[in-house]
Amino acid sequence: MTTSEPSAAVVPVRSAERDVSPTIPLVAAATLAACVATAGVWVGSRFHPMGAPAAAGLAASVSLLLGYKFGRRWGALPARIHRLMFRIADELAQYRAFTRLLRDQGKRITETTDDAAQVILSGLREMDAQVALVVASLEAEVPLPAHDSLQRMTQSISAPVVEMLGKLQFQDVTRQQIAFLAKLSLVVDEHMIELARQLGDRRSLDRVGEFKQMFNQALGDCVMTSQRDDHHVASGLDLKEAVGPKVELF
Amino acid sequence: MATTIFIVDDSATILMSMETILAKAGFAVAKAASGEEAVSKLQGGLKPGLIITDIHMGAMNGIELIKKVRTMPGLQFVPILVVTTESQQSKRDEARAAKATGWLVKPVKPEDLTRVVKQILPNG
Repeated sequence: MTTSEPSAAVVPVRSAERDVSPTIPLVAAATLAACVATAGVWVGSRFHPMGAPAAAGLAASVSLLLGYKFGRRWGALPARIHRLMFRIADELAQYRAFTRLLRDQGKRITETTDDAAQVILSGLREMDAQVALVVASLEAEVPLPAHDSLQRMTQSISAPVVEMLGKLQFQDVTRQQIAFLAKLSLVVDEHMIELARQLGDRRSLDRVGEFKQMFNQALGDCVMTSQRDDHHVASGLDLKEAVGPKVELF
Repeated sequence: MATTIFIVDDSATILMSMETILAKAGFAVAKAASGEEAVSKLQGGLKPGLIITDIHMGAMNGIELIKKVRTMPGLQFVPILVVTTESQQSKRDEARAAKATGWLVKPVKPEDLTRVVKQILPNG
């Protein structure tokens, strides 16, 4: 399995010119409300004695709604919120150094265990070859009474070798598990990049990434039953997938 | 002459481990560290009695290798065993459809490996 680093960089928060004042939407709303209310009172008082207060109340409500709507669209963010957004984006970028470190460590573990497993395998093969030589020379040179006991001893040395050779396959299984962790950390990285990008663009704040979808996509990379079971637990599902036979001839 | 078993896996540990286990069981062993290398050796004249391949490898995965081998002259009916960490039924079905002979989940016990190989190659 191979993994590749995401290429995106954190996008800086834009539109600093909007850092004027948080009160602008409120002032705009109040001015609009006053104008509409004045007009309403004037128009209402010409038709009915209760027309003026009713029109004023209605006008004020409508203008408050309009003020809220326009203020929300055109208003400015307070500078302290922008500073907070900058800080969060910056820290998200720094977390990527940690996930990168996790991947590097995983790679190092894989390389180290691979080297160790191969050295152990070579040693076991050498031992096995030497035992085979001993057995051959026993048959040729050692008198029969001593032969049997020596052969039992050599067999007891040789027997566990094969089992150990099989057990060393753990290295490949571990390698694939670590590769999967590296892939997961890349998913987290991508999401952090996306979040940082959204921090820099207020218009995209409502379009939060499909985190659940990303998480479920990771399930596609789970090749082992144990990985898939772990994923289901993390997803809050009480689900155990059927384990097929370890050996199956079609 | 011992039957040659061709092992294809991108893990040097797996190659070494299986080679030793199968050699101890009396088989001749040939190895390749990728699907591409396997195809190259087969095109170069290697005639194994059995191919054992991993699924997750580099550019050419195990399923693609099986499909390729099934198109090569003289290799359409060579038994192919898949040895992998993959345990999904859908992948098994994919391998079966590609005309693999069997499926073993890693880690494979040496006795399971030799038993299955001897079952497939009774005269090996």
